[in-house]
Amino acid sequence: MNRDPTPSASSGQAPATKTKTWREGGTLCILIALAMPVEARTRPHYGGTLRVEIEGDAWTQNVPGTGGLGSPTARRLVFDGLTRVDADGTVRPALAIRWASEENDHRWQFWLRPGVHFEDSSPLTAAVVVASLTGLCGTDCPWTAVRLVGASIVFTSDSPMPNLPALLAGDDFLIVHPRSVDANAAAQPASPTGFMVGTGAFEPTGFSNGVLTLTANDSCWEGRPFLDKIVITGHKAIRDQWLDLSLGRTDVVEVPAEQLREAHEKRLNVVASGPVSLLALAVADGGVLADPNLRAAIALAVDRSSLSNVIFQKQGEITGSLLPSALTGYGFLFPADRDVNKAHELRGGLTPPSLTISTDDPGAAMQLATQRLALNLREAGFNVQVIGRTYQRANIVLLRLTLQSNQPQAAIESLLRGLGVASPVIESTPAGLYKVEREFLQTHTLVPLLYLPRAYAVGGRVRDFSLSADGMPLLAGASLQDVP
Amino acid sequence: MNLRQKLLLLFSLTVALAVAAVAWTVLVRIKLVFEQRDRDETALVVSQFQREFQHRSDEVAAAVDHIASRERVRSMAMELAQTGDASPYLSEAQTLAQEAQLDFLEIVGPDGNVVSSAQWPARFGYPEPAATKTSAAFLKREELPDGTAALGLFGVRAVKVSEGSEPAVRLIGGKRLDQSFLADLPVAPGMQVCLYNDDYSSKQSAAQESLASFDPTRLICATGVLANATHYESLIDSARKSGQTSSGILYLTDRREDSVNATAIPLKSGEGAVLAVLMVTVSRSGMVEAQQHIRAIAYGVAAGGILLAIALSLWIAARVSRPIERLASAAEEVAGGNWEARVAERGRDEVGVLARSFNHMTGQLVAQRERLVQTERVAAWRELARRLAHELKNPLFPLQLTVENLVRARELPEAEFDEVFRESTATLAMEIANLKTIIGRFSDFSKMPKPELERIDARDVVERVRSLYEPASAVADSGNAGGSEAAKIRFEVELAAEPMPLDADPELLHRALSNLVLNAMDAMPKGGTLTVSARPKGEIVELRVADTGEGITPEECERLFTPYYTTKEHGTGLGLAIVQSVVADHHGTIAVESRPGAGVTFVISLPRAQEEKS
Repeated sequence: MNRDPTPSASSGQAPATKTKTWREGGTLCILIALAMPVEARTRPHYGGTLRVEIEGDAWTQNVPGTGGLGSPTARRLVFDGLTRVDADGTVRPALAIRWASEENDHRWQFWLRPGVHFEDSSPLTAAVVVASLTGLCGTDCPWTAVRLVGASIVFTSDSPMPNLPALLAGDDFLIVHPRSVDANAAAQPASPTGFMVGTGAFEPTGFSNGVLTLTANDSCWEGRPFLDKIVITGHKAIRDQWLDLSLGRTDVVEVPAEQLREAHEKRLNVVASGPVSLLALAVADGGVLADPNLRAAIALAVDRSSLSNVIFQKQGEITGSLLPSALTGYGFLFPADRDVNKAHELRGGLTPPSLTISTDDPGAAMQLATQRLALNLREAGFNVQVIGRTYQRANIVLLRLTLQSNQPQAAIESLLRGLGVASPVIESTPAGLYKVEREFLQTHTLVPLLYLPRAYAVGGRVRDFSLSADGMPLLAGASLQDVP
Repeated sequence: MNLRQKLLLLFSLTVALAVAAVAWTVLVRIKLVFEQRDRDETALVVSQFQREFQHRSDEVAAAVDHIASRERVRSMAMELAQTGDASPYLSEAQTLAQEAQLDFLEIVGPDGNVVSSAQWPARFGYPEPAATKTSAAFLKREELPDGTAALGLFGVRAVKVSEGSEPAVRLIGGKRLDQSFLADLPVAPGMQVCLYNDDYSSKQSAAQESLASFDPTRLICATGVLANATHYESLIDSARKSGQTSSGILYLTDRREDSVNATAIPLKSGEGAVLAVLMVTVSRSGMVEAQQHIRAIAYGVAAGGILLAIALSLWIAARVSRPIERLASAAEEVAGGNWEARVAERGRDEVGVLARSFNHMTGQLVAQRERLVQTERVAAWRELARRLAHELKNPLFPLQLTVENLVRARELPEAEFDEVFRESTATLAMEIANLKTIIGRFSDFSKMPKPELERIDARDVVERVRSLYEPASAVADSGNAGGSEAAKIRFEVELAAEPMPLDADPELLHRALSNLVLNAMDAMPKGGTLTVSARPKGEIVELRVADTGEGITPEECERLFTPYYTTKEHGTGLGLAIVQSVVADHHGTIAVESRPGAGVTFVISLPRAQEEKS
């Protein structure tokens, strides 16, 4: 509307056109002049050491549940899977260049990428992949059998495995040299550096005092990464991480969801994922909570809004479903409102003996959330005591589950597998997915509470820092700006 | 127990009782004084402690005031008032409490709900009734996330955005009343401060609280849980139930020094409910030890006093009793025959008067005895003269008659004269012989020989007498065969079977026994039974000579052994005197037993020879 020409402009059109031409020409020159250095800055530089600080362990070997592949931050740098999932949820080739399913998804065949070598220069073969998958997941695999057929790997199962390519992108199925696994089992170094060997962009070359040093793998099948080294320092408190970041002593630090607002207030350069962490209560279905009404009462007693608005500082997404609404679209069908009266009604006159609640997560927010949930349950008439992490499993446990895939079917299958629940056959339609989710949640053994993002703050010299679908940092593609 | 011992006992008891009474009075008084002083000190200490406690309350209130005055809090209040969004301040209370060194801090919004809680961060959004309190400081039992509750000293302050507006937030800060709080309190030496906290859960009613039984593990002191907490149960329960301060002395062990003056102070909420009991104890060990020290000194002084009293009593008793003892001793001597005994006359008191009277009395006794001896000597001489005159007069009268007859016979014819002459000379000779006999007896009495002792058997002495006189009695008996029956004397001897040794002169003893036998025979002119016996009787040997004559009167018995006293017509009265002399020379005694008509029995008791006994 502002572009409408005015009648008075027609009298001086020639000088105006000339002036305009000069103006446009000058502007173009200025833009070209400005674009040249910008173009130079966007070209990544090779070299440099990226410093990362995290709260957890920088490197843990043979930790149950992690597949023995070190900390989540480092494992993606050292190991690759047969497939990988992009940030948009698309399953992409990785060590496998293609795959195909047969027999109504009961049989899957993956063809390996040729010319891939481990960091110790040993070739990646189908036999090695089969041995690695068998050694890492053991009997808890989504397939019944895995075998090699020529240069390909064949997965077979009694039940259909429609989400197998997406599942194989998960942390549990990263490919490790079998010799590394065996050597770690025998407490012997698998490589000259003593670490497990993978095909990733980096290889661990040092680990002391909680500091892991990763060095660029020059012969990586994806090509050499821009960074020479990544140093991951573990066991750093969030406040210390932020202090180090502000002092330029580190490049990447963690930002818990409950501190996202504070990080923004502090004007940190925050990179946050979508909702990838599911907070949920795992309720025992035996013992004093064998009565499903009691479990339903617990589900109704929890106050998700206070968790989201106060403890997690409005960074959480309240959910009553396993998967976020953004992924499925039917999240609203699962009630997430609190109803203490209904909880009282369901609990009836029953006064269960002292219940216990705990969390495996040592984070302050999770501990606080546990106490808040205990308070909610007491308000609903339950006698609940918060206990620490003990050898004895509490009746109610607050869990933080990670959504490992953007594909709903794969995500829910992964979640259920993580919970130790046998994955049913999941139809690819939203109705089928909803049915599976509803049937599971009706048991009230898991009460979804919130979805939280995963976030990191990066320093000013870090470039091309991004997060994966499950919110983990993709450091392999990052580079540093001030490298000489 | 003699007089001195009695006096000593009396004096000692009197003094000991007096000292004990004084000591007891002193100790009781000291105890009362100490206890009063102890109570005063305890009251003072408790008062000081209560002031200190109040001071801590003021400190808490000041700390909350200080927080309320901070710009950060005012900004928060402003933000809350404007936006109503409390979520950014979730951890604010923890930060502020840490900076102010408070154990409890809650930020309460205008709606009365908790915005942020330091002690229970998860409690946000829940109402806090204490926010409406207006008192400067108060006690409150604060619930904790682990289901327990902790007692705290709290202060509440309102933070207003502007003058006249409603408070945007209220701050409720406090300090925990726990072991560290107690340890931080200044206490006097010997003082201990403990806290009994019931730690009720929030769902218990006040009625249930009052019924809760005493739990010793809930009585904590600065050093931890008290080991002997049960001793405090009565005081604590009293304070809990009455809501009033209770105090008393508690004995923790059997030793008195292990006792304390305990004061249980109920700590109440604003509503008057007893939330906890503060137990202030002050050790009595110093007081008890001082008391025991004084008691030991008192006992020592009392013992010393008693010993001194005994010594003085001993001296006084000796001083008082010695003249009396001397008097008693002198009296015993006088009683023993020593009339020459004298006592020293000292002082002018009654004892001196008694001594002088005693000496005067003994002097009088000696003088009277001398006079009596003199009198008796004169009487004896008179008796001797009378006896001599009597004895000599009897022969002299026939001599005189005979001589006068001879003188008259010169007138007679020669033949008749010759016959008269012969008869007269015969009479003269007989009477002169009689005179010689009388003189001989007197001579014998005057010449009693000393006994020559030797070991003899009493039975031999008796047998010798029997052998001598039994035939004589038999002759007399036969001589009077045609006469009267009075001449019949039967001689009987009764001897013990065992030997009866004597250290005696056999001749003198025979002579004495013979005298008695002859007297017995004389006493039975009409005959009878003469019994001589000897038998042992303990340490003596008893010889008896008994007749069955007419006997003698008691008066005669008393005078029987007096020299020259006789009941016989021609006796000299020396026989029994000689017998008594012989018996006395053998350290024996002689007695006479008689009843009129029942005869006389002489009993000689002689000591038995010692060697034979061993």
